Amino acid sequence: MTIGGISSDLEFRNWILQQPEGQTLLRCYQCGRCTSACPVAEIDSSFNPRLFLEKIILADEALAEERLIWTCLTCEQCEVRCPEHVKIPQILILAKVRGLATGNTPQTALDRARSILRQGRTIQVSDPMIKTREKMELPDLGSPPVEQLTKMLTDLKLAKRLESTESRYGGGESE
Amino acid sequence: MSRVQKYTYFPGCMIPFRLPHFELTIRKVLERLDVDMIADEGHTCCPEPTTFTGVDFEAWLTVGARNVAVSESTGRDTLALCSGCFHTLAIARHMIHSEQDIRERVNSRLKKIGMEATGNVTVKNILHVLHEDIGLERIKKQVVHSLKGISLATHYGCHLVRPIEATHMDDAENPRWMENLIQAVGAEAVDYEDKMACCGAPIAPSDEAKSFRLTAEKLRKIRAAGADAIVMICPTCYTQMEMQQKKTAEYLDSEFSIPVLYLGEMLALAMGMVDLVTSNSRRYHRVKIQSLLEKMGVGK
Repeated sequence: MTIGGISSDLEFRNWILQQPEGQTLLRCYQCGRCTSACPVAEIDSSFNPRLFLEKIILADEALAEERLIWTCLTCEQCEVRCPEHVKIPQILILAKVRGLATGNTPQTALDRARSILRQGRTIQVSDPMIKTREKMELPDLGSPPVEQLTKMLTDLKLAKRLESTESRYGGGESE
Repeated sequence: MSRVQKYTYFPGCMIPFRLPHFELTIRKVLERLDVDMIADEGHTCCPEPTTFTGVDFEAWLTVGARNVAVSESTGRDTLALCSGCFHTLAIARHMIHSEQDIRERVNSRLKKIGMEATGNVTVKNILHVLHEDIGLERIKKQVVHSLKGISLATHYGCHLVRPIEATHMDDAENPRWMENLIQAVGAEAVDYEDKMACCGAPIAPSDEAKSFRLTAEKLRKIRAAGADAIVMICPTCYTQMEMQQKKTAEYLDSEFSIPVLYLGEMLALAMGMVDLVTSNSRRYHRVKIQSLLEKMGVGK
């Protein structure tokens, strides 16, 4: 269907509304304070949190394909200023999750997720790092219980999704 | 001798392995204050809140809830030194505790690995422990070298402070706990424009130029206020504003050379543990801190 000239998929909006904090979207009356509080909007006028919310309200799933949503800092300045306490960064996070299916995910984000799945940590721990801790007489931290993590994430089908996902953009260097 | 207060230490990845001088200095400072941190091998990556959330929010919440369950089993309050870890654990705990459907959904997954999370655990950051649990008076008693004459700018970082309903900080727009600690060691806390502005790091994976433009703006405002150094808590902010400070020159017509101290380093210096800071300064400070130490009267 088409609403206000845009192709619209109510399934997208309904999905957002069912997710954690997604219901707060309904309190948005488009006043624009979020955009006036946003440090990214200040340096890039194409980044417009109010417009992002409008698109979700109108059920425009194309938002999930926009690279711009990944330039949200999640700093929550918008949420602090919002008179209705709409969880704006969280709603954009949900849009990002929807974008994974088509690869609208920075390479670094995929690398980190794969690292968490594989070793229970975001970064690769090397021997020199362990040696530095020893030299500083800091306690041994052992290894995280990866098998429990893998089991949970496999049940959530994340492992499978990560296998088949390719980032549409390089964006930033791999860690 | 007073009784030692014990916390479950949530180490995360960045501090113990990339910036271990954070852990080293704060451990020694806390020892002086009769506080001990005990790690639990059951914890995993928090997971980090700036990108993993946007890959799979339910997975983020579930892994976070698992870590909360591990914390609950220790019977102690949890201290997360890293702001990203703190943010994840605080939100996961808050969601599990306040929303029944989330609690049930997440626990149906945890049950398969024999665990359960109720949210009945307190997740703290280093400011909760220093400012609220230990208190300024006890800290002042350990100051042997006042940092009088030094002006310091605070950088709290976003994820330590917001959302306030989960972080339980003093204020979402103008927190003061770090300023109070700076004054407790005799230094001056300088005010500067947009104190709560983000360091820029979260968007480096998607748009590096924008990310460092924000960092440059932040540093420019700190320099304009005349600060001798910046004091911070978050390892990601530190990586952006200290380790990569040189990079910001590409985005503003001037180069910065503003020393950055981790909060634990500032306290260690005031408590007379100078060697602890200087022995690692070459490796973990790309912006030289020698002249700052000289101004403090502890340089060699």
